Amino acid sequence: MAPIPMLLVLLFAASPASSSNSEGEALHAWRARLTDPTNVLQSWDPTLVNPCTWFHVTCDPQNRVIRLDLGNSNISGPIGSELGRLEHLQYLELYRNNLKGKIPAELGNLKNLISMDLYGNHLQGEIPKSFAKLKSLRFLRLNNNKLTGSIPRELVVLSNLKILDVSNNDLCGTIPIGGPFANFPLQSFDNNSRLNGPELQGLVPYDFGC
Amino acid sequence: MATMERSSMLLAFCALWSLAALAESAVNYAHLLDVRPDFVDPRGVLSGWSPGFDPCGWRGVTCSESKNHVLALNLSGCGLSGTLSSKIGGLRSLETLDLSSNSLSGSIPSEIGMLKNLKQLLLYSNSLSGHIPPELGLLKSLKVLRIGDNSFSGAIPSQLSNCIELEVLGIAYCQLSGGIPPEFNNLSKLKILNMEKNRLGGTAPEELFSGCNALRVVSMADNMLQGEIPSSVRELAELRTLNLANNHISGSIPPELGKLTSLNYLNLLGNKLTGTLPPVLNQLTELRVLDLSSNNLSGTINAISTMHLKNLTYLVLSNNHFEGSISSDLCTESSSLQNLFVAGNSLTGTVEGLLSCGSLRSLDLSNNTLTGTIPSEIDSLVNLENLVLHNNSLTGGLPPQIGNLSNLQMLSLFHNGITGRIPVEIGKLQRLQLLYLYENQMSGGIPDEIANCTGLEELDFFGNNLSGSIPEMIGNLKNLELLQLRQNGLTGRIPPSLGYCARLQALALADNRLSGELPASFGLLAELSLVTLYNNSLRGPLPESLSSLKNLSFVNLSHNKFNGSISPLLGSNSIVKLDLTDNCFSGEVPSAIGGSRNMTRLRLGQNLLSRRIPNEIGQLRWLDLLDLSFNNFEGNIPIEISNCSRLKHLLLAGNGFSGEVPAWLGTLNALGELDLSSNQLTGGIPPELGNCSSLLKLCLQDNSLSGSIPAELGQLTSLNVINLQLNNLTGSIPAAAVKHWQKLYELRLSENYFTGGIPPEIGELVELQVMLDLSKNQLSGGIPWSLGKLTKLERLNLSFNQLDGQIPESLQQLTSLHRLDLSENPLSGEIPEKLSVFPASSFAGTHLCDAPLSSCAKPMDGKMARLSNAAVAGIVVAIVSTSAVVCMVLLCMLVKVWSKWMEVSVSNSDSDAGEEGFGEKEGVQGGANGKYWKVEAMKTVGSSEKQSSASETCTVDKDGGN
Repeated sequence: MAPIPMLLVLLFAASPASSSNSEGEALHAWRARLTDPTNVLQSWDPTLVNPCTWFHVTCDPQNRVIRLDLGNSNISGPIGSELGRLEHLQYLELYRNNLKGKIPAELGNLKNLISMDLYGNHLQGEIPKSFAKLKSLRFLRLNNNKLTGSIPRELVVLSNLKILDVSNNDLCGTIPIGGPFANFPLQSFDNNSRLNGPELQGLVPYDFGC
Repeated sequence: MATMERSSMLLAFCALWSLAALAESAVNYAHLLDVRPDFVDPRGVLSGWSPGFDPCGWRGVTCSESKNHVLALNLSGCGLSGTLSSKIGGLRSLETLDLSSNSLSGSIPSEIGMLKNLKQLLLYSNSLSGHIPPELGLLKSLKVLRIGDNSFSGAIPSQLSNCIELEVLGIAYCQLSGGIPPEFNNLSKLKILNMEKNRLGGTAPEELFSGCNALRVVSMADNMLQGEIPSSVRELAELRTLNLANNHISGSIPPELGKLTSLNYLNLLGNKLTGTLPPVLNQLTELRVLDLSSNNLSGTINAISTMHLKNLTYLVLSNNHFEGSISSDLCTESSSLQNLFVAGNSLTGTVEGLLSCGSLRSLDLSNNTLTGTIPSEIDSLVNLENLVLHNNSLTGGLPPQIGNLSNLQMLSLFHNGITGRIPVEIGKLQRLQLLYLYENQMSGGIPDEIANCTGLEELDFFGNNLSGSIPEMIGNLKNLELLQLRQNGLTGRIPPSLGYCARLQALALADNRLSGELPASFGLLAELSLVTLYNNSLRGPLPESLSSLKNLSFVNLSHNKFNGSISPLLGSNSIVKLDLTDNCFSGEVPSAIGGSRNMTRLRLGQNLLSRRIPNEIGQLRWLDLLDLSFNNFEGNIPIEISNCSRLKHLLLAGNGFSGEVPAWLGTLNALGELDLSSNQLTGGIPPELGNCSSLLKLCLQDNSLSGSIPAELGQLTSLNVINLQLNNLTGSIPAAAVKHWQKLYELRLSENYFTGGIPPEIGELVELQVMLDLSKNQLSGGIPWSLGKLTKLERLNLSFNQLDGQIPESLQQLTSLHRLDLSENPLSGEIPEKLSVFPASSFAGTHLCDAPLSSCAKPMDGKMARLSNAAVAGIVVAIVSTSAVVCMVLLCMLVKVWSKWMEVSVSNSDSDAGEEGFGEKEGVQGGANGKYWKVEAMKTVGSSEKQSSASETCTVDKDGGN
C-alpha cells in the first residue's frame, strides 16, 4: 500500500487542493519553472495563506492578486499557463526579462486584465486568439519579442484597447482595421518585415505573406 | 633387518607425518593469531583466542574432525571493527569465512585469493571499501559470495566469472559502477544474483540471461542500467523473482517474459518502458506481484486479467499513460487480487468494472479522469481497507452503502465532483482512520454519527458546501490528529467537546461562518500546533486556558471579532507564525511575545492594541514580517526592532508613532517594504535609508516629516513605489536621486513644500505607470519636455503648483494617460490638441486656452488675410486633391487605407499625425469605468477610515485588507 504521508504543514498550506490559495499555487507553480538569478522571487513562500505578502505581487482588499510586477527582473523561462488562473489580475508586467517560449492561450482567461506588458523578452509563436476575451484590456505591449504569425483579427472586438504595440517582432500578414485598430498609430507595427499593411478585406487574404 | 629397517622407516614416516600435521596445525594457529590484531573487538569476543587453549575451541573457529584444519571462521555480528588482515591468506584450509554484520572497514585484502578451499565468503553489512579484489576469481570452489551492504566502489571484476561453482552472488547496496561483466554468462550454476542499489550502468547483458540458466532470483533494482530488457530473458526458465526497478531501461516489455512460467515476482517500476501491456503476461500464472508503475506505458490495462493470473495479489500500474476504462475482466470473482494501484494514469469511465473483485483490500485509482458515481454496490468489496479515488471527476453522492465496508481504514475521495450529503452510515466505519472528502461539492450538515468513527485520525472536509454546525460530540474522536473543515458554510459555535480530542495537532476551521466564543476546553488540546480560524465571526476574549498550549506554532485568527488581550496565545514559545489581523484585540502587546524565538511572521494589524511596542520584540531575530499597522500604538519606534535583521516587511502605518524615522532602519538590509505612513513622525528622512538596497516600497506619507529628500535615496535602485505625500518636506526634488529610480511605477510627492523645477530626469522613469503625483507643492518653472517619454503613465497630477510656460507638445505622446490634472498653475498658451480630450477641470485655474477650454482669442480673418498667393494656390490644390480623395473613398475606401500605409512605410514617417479620435472614447471611459479607478484608491484612503471605524465599534465589515 503506497502510504499517503500525513504532512500537516503540506496538507494545510501547500496542498494542491487548497483552492482558497489557488492564486498563490498558480504563481508558485510558474515560479518552479523560472530561473531567477537575482532571487527576486525569494519571498514567494507557498505555505502562506495567500500570496499577498510576496514581493512583486499586489492584492486587493479581498486578498486577490491584482498586480504582478516583474519587469526588469532578470527572470528567464516560460510564461506559465498557470497565470491564466489569476482571474482578478489587472496588471501583468513581465517586461524586459528573458522569458521564452509561446504566450500561453490561457492568458486569455484574465478577464479583468487592464494591462499586459510582455515587451522586451524572447517570446515566440503567435499572439493567442484567446486575447479576444480580454474585454477589460486597455494596454497590450508585446513589442521587442520574436512573435510570428499574423495579428489575430479576433482582437478587433477589444473595444477598450487603447494601446497596442507589436513593433519589433516577426509578424506577418495584414493588420486588422476594425475596432480599436482604427486608432493605433502605424509605429505600433514597425519592424515586422513581413507585415503587409492594413488588410484589404476581400482583396488580399488576411494571412497574406505568412 | 629389512623388517626393522622397514618398521623404523615407517616409524620415522609416522613421526614425520605427525610432525608435519603438528606444524600444519601450528601454522593455522599462528595465522588465526596473526589475523586477530587487525580486528578491534570492543565486546571482547576474541578474548579467548590465546595460545594456551585449543584453537578449535576458540570463538567462531570450526576445525576439521581431525582438529588439524580450521575449516570455518564465523564471527558474524560480533561487533568487530578494524580491518580484515592480509594475513587471512594464511588460513588456507578455510571453507567458510563469515564476518558479516560487523563494522569492518578498509578493503578486502587481495590475499583472500589464496583461500583456495573457500566455499562461502560472507562479508556483507560492514563498512568495507575500495575495489572488489579480482583475486576473488581464484576461488574456484566458491559457491556463496555475499559482500553487499558495504562501500565498495569501482567496477565488478570480470574475474568473478571464473568462480564457476558460484550459486549465490550478493553485491547489493554498494557504490559499484561500470557495467555487468558479460563473462558472467559462465556462471551456469548461479541461482541468486543480487546487485541492487549500486551505480551500475550499461545494458543488462544479453549473454547473462542466456548463460545463467539456473537463475532463480535476479535483482538489479536501483541502478542505472539502460537499453532494453534482453529477449534472452526467456532462457531463465527457473526464474522466480525478477527485479529491475528504478533503472533507465527503455523499450517495450518483451513478450518473451511470458515464457517465465515460474515467475512469481516481477518488478519493473521506475524505468522508461513504453508500449502496451503484452497479453502474454497472462501466461505468468504463478505471478503474485506485478509492479510496472512509473513507466511510460500506454494503452489499456485490460490485457491483464486475474482469470489467468489467479495468484496475483499485487498489481501496481500507477503513473503511466494508461487510458480507457476498467474492464470487469481485470479482476474477476475468483481472483486473489488484494492490492490494485492504477493511480496517476488517464483512465476514463467508471469504477463499476471492479465491483466483482471481492478480494480487494486496497484500491488506488487516484489522479485519473474517472467519471460516474461511486456505485451503491461498492459494499460488495467487503474486504476493502483502503479506497483511494481522489483527483478524479466522480459525481453523484456518497452512497450510504459505504457504511457497510466495515474494514475501511482510509477513504480518500478529495477533489472530485461528489455532491449530496455525507451519509449518516459513515458512522458505522469504526476502523476508519483517514477520511478525506475535501474539495467536492458536498452539502448538508456533518452527520452527528461521525462521532462514532472513533478510529479517525484525520478528517478533512475542506472546500465543500457543508452547512449546519460542527457535531457537538466531535470530542468522541479521541484519536483525531487533524480536523480540517475550512472553507464551508458552517455556522454555530465551536463545540466545547472539541477540547477532548486530546491528540489534535491541526485544527483548521477558517473560512466559515462560525460564531460565538472559543470554548475554554481548548486549553486541553496540549498537542495543538496549528490552528486557523480566520474569516469567521468568532468573538469574545480568548480563554485564559489557551496559555497552557505549549506547542502552538501556526496561529491564524485573523478577520474575526475577538477582543481582549492576546496574552493567552503567548504561553507557547514555539510560535512561528501569528496572524491576528483585523480583530478587536486591545491592551498592550505582552513582553512574552519575545518568547517565541523562531517567529517569522507577526501580524497584529487592524486591532485596538495600544501603548508602546515591547522591547522584547527585538528578540525575534528570525522575524520576516512585522505588521502592527492600524492600531493605537504610540511612542518611538523601538530601536530593538533593529535586531530583527531579517525583516523584509515592516508595516507600522496608521498608528500614533512619534519621534523621528529611525536612522537604524538603514541596517535592515533585507527590507523590501517599509510602511510608516499615517503616524506622527517628525524630523527628516534619514539618509541611511539609502542602505536598504532591497527596498521595493517606501511609504512615509501622512506624517510630519520635514527637510529635503536625501540624495542617498538614489541608491535605492530597486524601488517600485515611493509615497512621501502629505508631509512638510522642502527643498527641490533631487534630480541626482530620481534618475536611479528606473524601476519606479508609482511616485507620489504631493502635499509637501517642494520648490524648484520638476527635474527633467523624471522623464527618464519610463516604467512609471500607476501615478506621478507632484501636486500641491511649490514647484515652479516649466513642465519638462521629457515628461512626454512616460508613455506608460496612466495618471499625472501636477496641479496646485507654480508651473508656468506652455504645456510641452511632447505631452501628447502620453498615450496611456487616463487622468491628467494640471489645474491651478500659471500655465499659459494653447492646450495641445490631443490633450483636449481631458475635461476642462484638468486645466482649471490656468491661463491656458483652446479645447476643452475656450478657444484662444485669435481672429480667423487676420490669419486668412496674411496668406500669400502661393498659399492660396496651395489651398486650391488641396481642395481639389481632397475632392479627389473623397471620390476615391466613395469608390473604394480600402484602397485608400492601403495607399496610406504604403506612403508612411516608404517615407518612414516620424509624425504621429492623423490618428484622430484617439482620445474621444477615452474621456468617456475614464469616468465610466469606476472599477478601474479603484486600484489606487485603497492604498492611501484605506488607512484613516479603517482606524476610525475600528476604534468606535467592532462590528465593522471584515473586508479590510491585511
